[in-house]
Amino acid sequence: MEKQKNEGKSSRRKFLQTGAIILGGTIVATYLGRGPLRRFAAETAESLDTPLLVSTYKPDFWFEVLTDNTILLKSPKVEMGQGIFTGLAMLAAEELEVSVSQIRVEHAGSSNGPMDLTLTGGSSSTSSLYVPIREVAATMREMLKNAAGKYWNVQPGSINVKEGILTSGKNSMSYAEISALTKDWDVPDTPALKSVSDFKYVGTNVKRIDLIPKVMGKPIFGIDYTFPDMVYALILQSPYINGTIKSLDTKKAAESAGVIKVIEEKDLVAVVAKTRYAAEMALRLIEADWDIPRKWQQADFEQIVKVGNGNAVHIQDDGSAESLINENPGSAFRQEYRTPMAAHAQMEPNGTVAWVEKDSAKIVIGTQMPGMVARAVAKALDLDPEQVNLQVAYSGGGFGRRGMVNNAVHAAIISKLIGKPVHVFNTREQEFQNAVYRPNTHHVLEAKIGQGGEIEAIVHNQATPDTLVEAFAGSTALSLLGADFLSSGHGAGLIYNIKNRAAIVWQNKLPVRTGIWRSVGMYPNTFAVESFMNELAVKTGKDPFEMRIVLLKGTEKVNERYVHVLETLRERSGWDSPKPPGKGRGLAICNDRKTIAAAVIEVQVIDKRIKIIKVTNVIDAGLSINPEGIRQQVEGCVMMGISSALYEELTVKDGQIAASNYHEYPLATLADTPQIEVIILQGTDQPLGVGEPPIEPIAPAIAAAVFDLTGQNLRSLPLRIL
Amino acid sequence: MKIDFEINGKATSVDVDPQMPLLWVVRDELNLKATKYGCGKAMCGACTLHVDGDIFRSCSLAVEYVSGKSVTTLEGLSKNEGHLHPVQQAWIDENVPQCGYCQPGFMMAAAKLITVIPNPTDQDIKANISNICRCGTHPRIIKAIKRAAQIQQTTTLISDGKAKE
Repeated sequence: MEKQKNEGKSSRRKFLQTGAIILGGTIVATYLGRGPLRRFAAETAESLDTPLLVSTYKPDFWFEVLTDNTILLKSPKVEMGQGIFTGLAMLAAEELEVSVSQIRVEHAGSSNGPMDLTLTGGSSSTSSLYVPIREVAATMREMLKNAAGKYWNVQPGSINVKEGILTSGKNSMSYAEISALTKDWDVPDTPALKSVSDFKYVGTNVKRIDLIPKVMGKPIFGIDYTFPDMVYALILQSPYINGTIKSLDTKKAAESAGVIKVIEEKDLVAVVAKTRYAAEMALRLIEADWDIPRKWQQADFEQIVKVGNGNAVHIQDDGSAESLINENPGSAFRQEYRTPMAAHAQMEPNGTVAWVEKDSAKIVIGTQMPGMVARAVAKALDLDPEQVNLQVAYSGGGFGRRGMVNNAVHAAIISKLIGKPVHVFNTREQEFQNAVYRPNTHHVLEAKIGQGGEIEAIVHNQATPDTLVEAFAGSTALSLLGADFLSSGHGAGLIYNIKNRAAIVWQNKLPVRTGIWRSVGMYPNTFAVESFMNELAVKTGKDPFEMRIVLLKGTEKVNERYVHVLETLRERSGWDSPKPPGKGRGLAICNDRKTIAAAVIEVQVIDKRIKIIKVTNVIDAGLSINPEGIRQQVEGCVMMGISSALYEELTVKDGQIAASNYHEYPLATLADTPQIEVIILQGTDQPLGVGEPPIEPIAPAIAAAVFDLTGQNLRSLPLRIL
Repeated sequence: MKIDFEINGKATSVDVDPQMPLLWVVRDELNLKATKYGCGKAMCGACTLHVDGDIFRSCSLAVEYVSGKSVTTLEGLSKNEGHLHPVQQAWIDENVPQCGYCQPGFMMAAAKLITVIPNPTDQDIKANISNICRCGTHPRIIKAIKRAAQIQQTTTLISDGKAKE
């Protein structure tokens, strides 16, 4: 298709108006030029409140009709396991009038598709694309119909479409045929979209469309990518926190078998070799002495991240919660909770395949932020953005760890210096020791309980390092905002209808890079707040379901949804049937950007080890696009939640991250798999996020179940029986 | 050093450092990318493959060990998409993968398990496969292995029947 013909301004206007900050390519550039804080605000709005920011809305940039009458959809969102390709294929198929199996999905690249200028994350991909992708698909369908109408000389309205075949009277041809015959395309105004009741595929169980490549072991990941004559590099990274090179001897490394060159450029030291094995061997032969600014210890990290330290921002302040607590501090019910620093530990290490030539750079990378990576590479190499051809690979897990540039710039510099394509992937040790971490947090919760056992006031103080603002918008933005309440502090506020309630986020800074981890602040905050609510239920002699239902009732739609989730969960988990002997049960609930997720968990304790027996989940993520995909995500959240609640903890010792590999950072295995039940409710007709909310109730529900069984209140993660 | 062995049923020869881990030989010398690097320390199982029918974690196995032996990777488990191995078929039936990176290692471990324990219980599976998955596909992996065992038994029965006819 010719792209130039689609530029009619009036016909494209609708696309430019679909959301507050959905803009065409040129306008985006202007908008982003307004300074880091505004950019940050825009990008954060993207990831939190779900409009979409892409480089173009031209339908033929999104869809390509292939000669076998399948349609190639170029996805601006990246596939890292969450199943977004399948959901998008279903949505596109609805309006394109093709079957889901007729749609192939690939990642949009910087030169051939709608590049995502923000982040795949925040569980926002489906909801942010729900309207735009159907609008683009419907427009594409109308373009094909109009072209067929012109060709047959019939009114487009007389044309029917089914499974990609256009018919009018005796005339019949495929999308592929009319595409081959058409030179000039008219882009019509955006057509009206199907209503929910007319959906054919949305709401049905569809298996992942990437099953075949994934069970056949096709080379779909960044680490699998090769260019002809490609070499392998490893970057010397400090095994110490903020260590810098004091002295360096690379002689042995340079003489090691298979080594092509040892690069020493400013901060970049790397070995380049004919094979990955040769690069690994040579890296070990580099003799480096490190300047270590301070031998950080675990106690330092816990001292830094503490309520009372740093800047404080109120993110919730209803009634007079603090004065009610402070007027008689001794009488308040007060508990402290802690969550540890954690690693993403995604299975594919971070890395990049780069090929830089005189006026161009090809970058292949599994990333959650293709737009940011492309901009960073262009800037570092002094190239125009269009000279960077960024190709997004499937990610071997993301969880937030790919929401940054990682080593793309270094890989590009190495390729430029060596004059060859280069493959640069971290070792697992580098992934643990020189990474970006979920920060440890500290929470103080206080409640004023009335004489009749009613909760009069709750104050939640959360201490946390930044996980988003500084990395995306710089330290100025962070000091202007006061604290990262958007990401780290997400979920610090209380959802319960308590007249006097307050939440305060204290901004701390650790000497390591801290960043987003599946469900961001909702993870620590749901652990702290829901654990406290469970303790309050015990303290006031209430059933944890009853207490929550009373405090979540109200006149808004969301109140109805809370109650429905809780009542469903109560029934389906068998909460009111007698508890099996030797087992404990616990409950937790959360609201993460409108998705409500709750779980009841049954545990046993064997030889001081917590064993999860059964997890019953209820999730209301609004309109279900693909219930099968939702179940996959909930199960995944349950397993990652168990892993994190029972085992995961990254500690600091003598200036280093103590864990260097999985033996020092164990994850859940098949042996930890409980019985899992997933119940999906649809409390609204808008699709909401699924990839993160279900992990949030897991740790507090386990903690409550352990208390139920043993009487021990475990207030720090990972949960360890005393 | 020149090392001869069989890869997925075909004779091959590589000229590499005999200490080079089989993982990198398979991936970068033979260009078979299904076998994955995960930890480099034989802990995560992403690099699991078969040598003479036994499972090995190839990141920690020197290539010289397989001299004269027969190596099978996920690419060699089935002829093509039309003739899937019972494990691959079961993985599709149960919609197992999420990111998919650890799945080749799990599938290779599962393919071996169902030959040793033709009708495994949950407990057999949990006790015998220690691979790591970060996406949390564990419940589906367990279901898929039991399903693969069933498919294997049905297939065996059919082929036994044919042999008798």
